[in-house]
Formats: sequence, structure tokens, C-alpha cells
Amino acid sequence: MLILNSLDSLLEHIKNVQEDVVNLSHDSIVKINGFIEKNNLEVDDDVLTAMQYQDIVSQQLNATIEAIDSMRSAIEVFSHTYKNDENLATESITKLQEKLDATLKEAQDKKDRFSGKSALEDADDAIEFF
Amino acid sequence: MPLVIFVDDSETALASTKMVTSSMPIEVKQYTEAQVALAEIKAGMTPDLIITDLNMPVMNGFEFLKALREVPSTKRTPCLMLTTETKAELKQQGKALGLTGWIVKPFNPAQLKQAITRVLRLPA
Repeated sequence: MLILNSLDSLLEHIKNVQEDVVNLSHDSIVKINGFIEKNNLEVDDDVLTAMQYQDIVSQQLNATIEAIDSMRSAIEVFSHTYKNDENLATESITKLQEKLDATLKEAQDKKDRFSGKSALEDADDAIEFF
Repeated sequence: MPLVIFVDDSETALASTKMVTSSMPIEVKQYTEAQVALAEIKAGMTPDLIITDLNMPVMNGFEFLKALREVPSTKRTPCLMLTTETKAELKQQGKALGLTGWIVKPFNPAQLKQAITRVLRLPA
């Protein structure tokens, strides 16, 4: 299944790019934070909110990295089955499709969960007390 | 001064909360791992307020909260969840575990200060 090998390589590439972005974004905010602390700068609410966006960006990218890992694992299981018994391929491809669909659904759910207020159109700033 | 502990696996989140609380009359300790904070609590640390993230590796916010409620010194310590999660069922789960309140990220700095002031009954 050469097409799956290509797909796997593409997913691996996307994952590597995302990991680099997470690391660069982290390094960037650490340097900015270091500069602020070193110079005793007072930051306003907008800067503090912007700093928090980095956290959300990292969570979102890490969630999609998890989805990629899950997809690659499902593809690997299918490829292994296909190599060993072509008769099982039809059954396996159904399982692969189910696994990929479930992975997509979980990743979409995490996109909503990890966006915080930034994804809510009518978000107010009230803190909910119980 | 009252001791407030922040637990979040994100260094950025901790840096943000540190900046917000630096002018407040409180002592702040920060942890990137809930299990480390829990170990210090079990060893005798007695925070007056605990503010924790929910989604963390190893020990998540709910597991941390459950464990805190089993330690006599933190059985009734106020706890606030600071998270990106907005689902009502998660808030209900937190409430059932004795959570004091729920703050959604990115937090409003003034609102976070007000929440800490209110829970600790600091002079406004």
C-alpha cells in the first residue's frame, strides 16, 4: 500500500513541523517573559492576554499531534495486516476508517475544549463561583 | 501573608499569573506538576488558596482536587480551576468535588485579582 506509506510520511512531516512550532512559540514567550522580568516592566492586560494565547496555541497543536500519532498507529496496524493477509484487507480497511473517523471526532472535540474563551463569541469575563 | 499556590503544566500560564499577582499582598508558589505540589502539601505546606489547571499530564486537576480533599489540612481549602475547558458537565464535576469556582483561560487579569481577593477576603 504505497499510498499509505506516502500518507504516513506526510503525517510525520506535519507532526514534526507542529512540534517545531510549539517549541519555537515556547522559546519565544520565555524570552519575552525574561525581558519583561529583567527590565522590571509593567505589562498591561492586553499583553497578559496575548501571553496566554501562546498556551492555547500549544495546547491546540499538541492535540493535533496526538491525533496524528493515533492516525499513524492505525495506518501501521492496517499496513501490517495487509502485508500478512490480503484477504483481511477489506475488513481491516473498514476498521481503519472507523479508527480515523474516531480520531477526527476526538481531535475536533479537543479543538473546542482547548480554545477557552478565545473561541466563544459571547464570552464574558465573569468568573463562575459555585 | 496568605499562601496561594498555582499548578499548571504551562510555564506561560504560570508566568502570566505571576505577573498578575505580583502586586497583591499574598505569597505565591508555582508548580508545573500537581503531584509535586501534593507531595509538599502532605509534607506540611498549608496553602490558603489553590488555583489549578485541569488538563495536565500525570495528575490532572480533578485527580489533584480529589487527592487534596483526602489530606486533612486541605480538606476545605478553597480551590479554583483555571482552564480552557468551558463544558458545563466538567464544571458540575468540579463543583461536586468541592471546587470553589471556575475561571476560563485566557483569564482577565483584573477578574483573577478580584477572585483571589474575594476568596481570601483580602482588603479590596
